[in-house]
Amino acid sequence: MGNQERPKWDNPIQFLLACVSYAVGLGNVWRFPYLCQMHGGGGFLIPYLIMLVLEGVPLFCMELAVGQKMRLGSIGAWSAMNPYLGGVGLASVVTSMYLCLYYNVINAWSFWYFFNSFQSVLPWSDCPVNANQTGLLEECEKATPTQYFFYRETLNISPSINVNGGIHTSQALCLLLAWIISYLFVIRGVKSTGKVVYFTATFPYVVLFIYLIRGVTLHGALNGIQYMFTPKMEQLANPNTWINAATQIFFSLGLGFGSLIAFASYNEYNNNFERQAIAVSVINSGTSIFASIVTFAIYGFKATLNFENCLERSRMLLLNTFDLAEDSITIDTVFDWITKLNATYPEQFAQIEDKLEVCDLESELDTAVEGAGLAFIVYSEAIKNMPLPQLWSVLYFFMLLLLGMGSMLGNITAVITPMRDFKIFSRMSTEMCNGLVCMFCLLLGLSFTTTSGNYWFTMFNDYGANFSLLFVVLIEIITVSYVYGMNRFEKDIEDMLGHRPNWYWKIMWKFVSPLLLVAVFIVYIINYIQGGTPTYMAWDKEQGKTVVMEYPVFGQVFIGLLLVSSVSCVPLTALYVFCKKRKQGRHDKRENVLSTVSA
Amino acid sequence: MLEKIFLLLCFSSALANQLCKPDASDGYKVRISLKTALGDDAYVWNENEMFFFRSTLAFAMRTHVSGQRFEVSNIVVCNETPRVSFWFVVTQPQNLSQLIDKEHVEEAIRKSRSRINSAFLLTDNTLEFIGIQPTLAAPVEPVTPPWLIVFGVVMGAIAAGIIVYMVSTVVRKKRKKNEKTNGDDTDDETRVKTIESGRAADGVYNLSFADDERL
Repeated sequence: MGNQERPKWDNPIQFLLACVSYAVGLGNVWRFPYLCQMHGGGGFLIPYLIMLVLEGVPLFCMELAVGQKMRLGSIGAWSAMNPYLGGVGLASVVTSMYLCLYYNVINAWSFWYFFNSFQSVLPWSDCPVNANQTGLLEECEKATPTQYFFYRETLNISPSINVNGGIHTSQALCLLLAWIISYLFVIRGVKSTGKVVYFTATFPYVVLFIYLIRGVTLHGALNGIQYMFTPKMEQLANPNTWINAATQIFFSLGLGFGSLIAFASYNEYNNNFERQAIAVSVINSGTSIFASIVTFAIYGFKATLNFENCLERSRMLLLNTFDLAEDSITIDTVFDWITKLNATYPEQFAQIEDKLEVCDLESELDTAVEGAGLAFIVYSEAIKNMPLPQLWSVLYFFMLLLLGMGSMLGNITAVITPMRDFKIFSRMSTEMCNGLVCMFCLLLGLSFTTTSGNYWFTMFNDYGANFSLLFVVLIEIITVSYVYGMNRFEKDIEDMLGHRPNWYWKIMWKFVSPLLLVAVFIVYIINYIQGGTPTYMAWDKEQGKTVVMEYPVFGQVFIGLLLVSSVSCVPLTALYVFCKKRKQGRHDKRENVLSTVSA
Repeated sequence: MLEKIFLLLCFSSALANQLCKPDASDGYKVRISLKTALGDDAYVWNENEMFFFRSTLAFAMRTHVSGQRFEVSNIVVCNETPRVSFWFVVTQPQNLSQLIDKEHVEEAIRKSRSRINSAFLLTDNTLEFIGIQPTLAAPVEPVTPPWLIVFGVVMGAIAAGIIVYMVSTVVRKKRKKNEKTNGDDTDDETRVKTIESGRAADGVYNLSFADDERL
């Protein structure tokens, strides 16, 4: 610990908003609606809320308590809890570092889309014309303009992870901008972060509210909302539903990265973190549900639009083939006419049978998408069909930026705070230290802007954090409940808050949360083993769609490295501390012997 | 005499009918979607509109096939349907039994496409010549891509902000240095510092005791 006093939040509101800004991120917008759709719509809320109570709130509160008590970053805090388990903090820092590397790439994409929204015609609304102006570009024709814009103009993606190319300049520039802004947000540590979170935590809600009103007034939005909220209760019997609910709560709250410990370490000693933990967890889940209402309104709009376009195309096909007057078939009567024409002109109908598409609203609503695909492809497709699309596009991508930047604040703080607990870094000024970290992450992050960069991004996204986080938090809760001891932990909390935690907290910390985590952990391992060779989705230029590809050997080795590098911190540090203590013990014993002799 | 004229007329119309038929080798099918293009403002397609269409085609042929004066009668239309689609062929002005080649007709229509479209208040999609692809408009490429402009604006704002911040830091440091050189204030500062650290020591949890407990 340096000579200066530890920096503090200006007031508890800043801490609360920082936690909200960190926890409420892109996952609330693009992962939760997907899970809701996959697991029976409104019915998914039941396991989700149950897991929030059993797992989310207790673990969140535990991390805040540890950080506020120890007043150190994750490495120092866990070393102070138990010297052998300092590796838990180190594993958190390693995982946070991986997250820092790839997460800002998403912000770079948000910037790119945001800048491109300031045009009279949105670039992803139409396909560009091909070289000799006879038609549209082939790749764009086979896919959709939004997919083409994302895969070709944004990413300039290569056919597979083996094929490498140069850095895509526009992406690199956007990534540079993202890192500059991130650096400016954390430049003076909590002093600057505390001011920024007033905006990054609250403005996304303004945009979400505006979008809610816009969304539910769109044509066909009610189809989507109805579809989402009709619960399919049979999904509750599927164990995957409960596992996914547990995993979603876990990752959505950002546990295990060390950000919460870092944020809490800047608190006043007597700050009431218990109430804040409940508040932030509830706000986070509420935002997920709110965002999914908006998302499903947009889904409903898009699905209805696609359905009606499909009907229109069928109508035109029928009109053109049978040369009927234009107003004889309307959109509503298309299906009746199909059966009528099939009966009266079977041979002619047989000729166009393969060209006739099957239009089904349910199947349009069923197309569930998650992740970057949802945020950047599906949403931008829906936006281009709205009236005044530029305004909605700017608002939406600005909101994505705020959500992403808010989460980045937590990620960078999780890396910097433990670093500054070490003497080497605490001697440097805050600005210099933060600048070095940001520069390092920027340089390494440029590799994600190459043509195969998106595949590496997917690898980091899928394997970089998930497994190690579960492991880290499991060790954390076991350390707190059993190694450090629930009695000592209760005493610490009483010291900080003035009252002991009640029976709810004790039962959750000692039994329920660890058991749930072990269950999720085991299911994860089983899925990894059963999943076979890890695969990824590659963009096939010729077909104009994504295809499944297996990772090559070097890719699988890298995945292994990602997993091992963070998980192995725990045993390796324990071993290191053990050896150091043994050496020191021997050294002390020798000294003691000498002193008695000299005495 | 009258009979001969009558026979000739019948013959020519029969010939014209023979020349124009669906899937004629030198003919094109036209499809018009009035309701799609104009909705409630759509006009009714009748004989007069057909006459207008034939005259625009004759205009196109006159303009782009050099030397020959095409008349409305040179454009032969057949097989009209309620869809509003029909086939047409173009006969030579001098010889009504000879057709103009497909390529010339296509070229003429392609070059006058925008005039024909605007004559009928229609677009490439709603006035279709089956077999003739419309030339797509050349993409308007601005000199600087628009996103770069916005990027430049944001970068400029951030650079300005950084410069303001650094200048303010320098100004603050200079002001502090000036205060220090005055001398009296330094004692107050050190006194204040010790008081502050003393107060802090009272409030900060002393970890050294905690270590002993754990060991």
